[in-house]
Amino acid sequence: MTRRVFILAVIGAGTALALLPQNAKTHIDIAPFKIIQAVQETFFPKGLKAPSALEFGATNYLLNVSSHSSFLKSDLTFLFYGADLLINDQNDFLTMNPKERDEALRDFVNSSDKAENWASLLLFYTLEALLSDPIYGGNRNELGWKWLGHHTGQPQPKVKFAEVVS
Amino acid sequence: MKYDVCIIGSGVGASGVGHTLVNAGKKVVVLERGGFLKEKDFSKDEIAYCKRDIVTPNLEECYHTIEDLEDGEWVKTTTTQTESSFFNGNIVGGSSNFMSGYFHRLKPVDFKLKSTFGEIKGANIVDWCITYDELEPYFEKVERIVGVSGQVTPYKYHEPRSTKDFPYPPLDEHPISKIIDKACAKLKFIPYKTPRAILSRPKEKRNNCYYSNYCGSYPCASGAKGSARASLLQPALKTGNLTIITHAFVKKLNEKNEKVTEAVYIDTQTKKEHQIKATIFVVAGQAVESSRLLLNSKSKNFPNGLANNSNQVGKNLLFSAGGVGSGQFDANSVPLKDLMVEGLFVNRSLCDWYEIDGMKGGVIDFLFEHANPISKASKQKWDGDKLIWGEELQNKIFKKFTTTKQLNFEIFNDWLPTDNCFVSVDEKYKDIYGVPVANIRIGSHPHDLKIGRLLAKKAEAVMKEMGAKNIGSSISSYPPSNLQAGGCRFGDDPKTSVLNKHCQAHEVNNLFVSDGSFMPTGGSVTYTWTIYANSFRVGDYVLGVLNRG
Repeated sequence: MTRRVFILAVIGAGTALALLPQNAKTHIDIAPFKIIQAVQETFFPKGLKAPSALEFGATNYLLNVSSHSSFLKSDLTFLFYGADLLINDQNDFLTMNPKERDEALRDFVNSSDKAENWASLLLFYTLEALLSDPIYGGNRNELGWKWLGHHTGQPQPKVKFAEVVS
Repeated sequence: MKYDVCIIGSGVGASGVGHTLVNAGKKVVVLERGGFLKEKDFSKDEIAYCKRDIVTPNLEECYHTIEDLEDGEWVKTTTTQTESSFFNGNIVGGSSNFMSGYFHRLKPVDFKLKSTFGEIKGANIVDWCITYDELEPYFEKVERIVGVSGQVTPYKYHEPRSTKDFPYPPLDEHPISKIIDKACAKLKFIPYKTPRAILSRPKEKRNNCYYSNYCGSYPCASGAKGSARASLLQPALKTGNLTIITHAFVKKLNEKNEKVTEAVYIDTQTKKEHQIKATIFVVAGQAVESSRLLLNSKSKNFPNGLANNSNQVGKNLLFSAGGVGSGQFDANSVPLKDLMVEGLFVNRSLCDWYEIDGMKGGVIDFLFEHANPISKASKQKWDGDKLIWGEELQNKIFKKFTTTKQLNFEIFNDWLPTDNCFVSVDEKYKDIYGVPVANIRIGSHPHDLKIGRLLAKKAEAVMKEMGAKNIGSSISSYPPSNLQAGGCRFGDDPKTSVLNKHCQAHEVNNLFVSDGSFMPTGGSVTYTWTIYANSFRVGDYVLGVLNRG
């Protein structure tokens, strides 16, 4: 299995990679994102009034922004570290149904301050994905803004991270 | 090439000097650490401007060390550990690009704190070496040139004005302003119409405000906000006398025979070192970084740092004391159609207690909670100390966004100068260029909290009268990192001050410091208008020095 095919298999075709910059693909360790994606889908599950993590592109967003120099390396390290902790604590997390995952995540979060801090950080980045400008790969079709009747400020960004276009 | 004047920094303290000089035909070079973004580049991108280090140095490139008192000991941490940056807006125009533009002048009493209220034990309070009357013409100049909108509200402590009213009419107001006015009338408080450095009408190439709802923390895409860039530097470029060098981190000022000879800077993109020669050097890199530059500019004549043979550089650093508070409003207290109006300004302050119980008091500004959706949503993820998600979190976020609005208040009172608040440098902590970073000791005086709490009670009374729910406030001794002044105080005595009354170094007569560093006491308002006014004043003096030769 090539790396690209492997990534598509774990993330789900069409969710993440289309928007990933080419250079980022070679630098990102994708495997932990499989766990992260499962947790984000627990934070924002399907079938509620709000868009689901899958619908608004939570993991896709994180893949995009975590490859930029402005993303704190310590945050990425901690996100990966926590994903590892979760799988060690809840071995079957990825094969559980949504209800079981929710309960397993609650058990994990209650198990230590570290676990809770990790979930809080991942939830923060999930909310960034829900409500940031769609240019970053989350808030797909402005689903987050539409859900809350939120009006974004104008002008919207034409480039990511306030880069200067000459 | 040798310039007439080299200015380090491009914010409010730099731009008044630069604008004055280039319009008088002098050749000026401005060295700015960051890049040059203009109106066409700006957007209301919460990620870029509020969530990442895009317009400040990456903390892995340069950071600060912070000394805070823990169990009676000063404990040093780095801002890379705490992820709380003390840099503010390293782009052309500096942090004024991101200000909210609440504009208050200092009052005459702020220039004579010691002689009016006497000493306070443990505080290094002094009178200023100039009076309000000497700065008043420059406050007026800022209203005209930078552009201040508003309407004068008479009250007991109002400062004297040389003009009747503001040159630009008030900005459009949110329906809640009338509710504040009503509550104040009941309480016999005077609702003060807050002046703003935001244009309500176009001015030359600058458009008026378009009420984007995303003003503070964001650069302005219309040019209405009176940033140093939009109001002074961009127009000044048209003279052909101004050169702005970007991505220029000034690491040292070289000195010979008690005169600065050159500024040494590193191009942060190429990492190459360059030198700039000029007749006069003006430092305006915001208080912390200005002191750092002088302390790092050691030489044979100045072994403790430039202009620091009296060991005063970095001392008596000031922030703004006070705190924040809030109250919640919903359809039970204000009709939802009024409450949910977006973009219009609250523009109300309370200044009735600029002096309180025989002590120096402060001001209270009202403003809505920022519209930033990520910040607003992420505050909902805790229920007490329990992290929530799924339907529980979604319901909480939905309710927050669609049924309530939070009115905040901010309290500003004097951050008394003390021996426990200063900037120093420590060879052990260096940035990626090998230059010692600024160490900031952030001790405060207990008197600051006392005044803050007195003012918070007044603001809470207004909230209560308005029918707000969940009213609360937090008065803190932790410094707001964006409101910096002091560190190179001006005064008549070279033993106790760094600068003379013209903001010229006592010991180095071709060196000036024109940002907020000169302030020996801070006043009870945000600093921007005062720094702008003083920068124009220093500009006039520097021009005189150049003309005299």
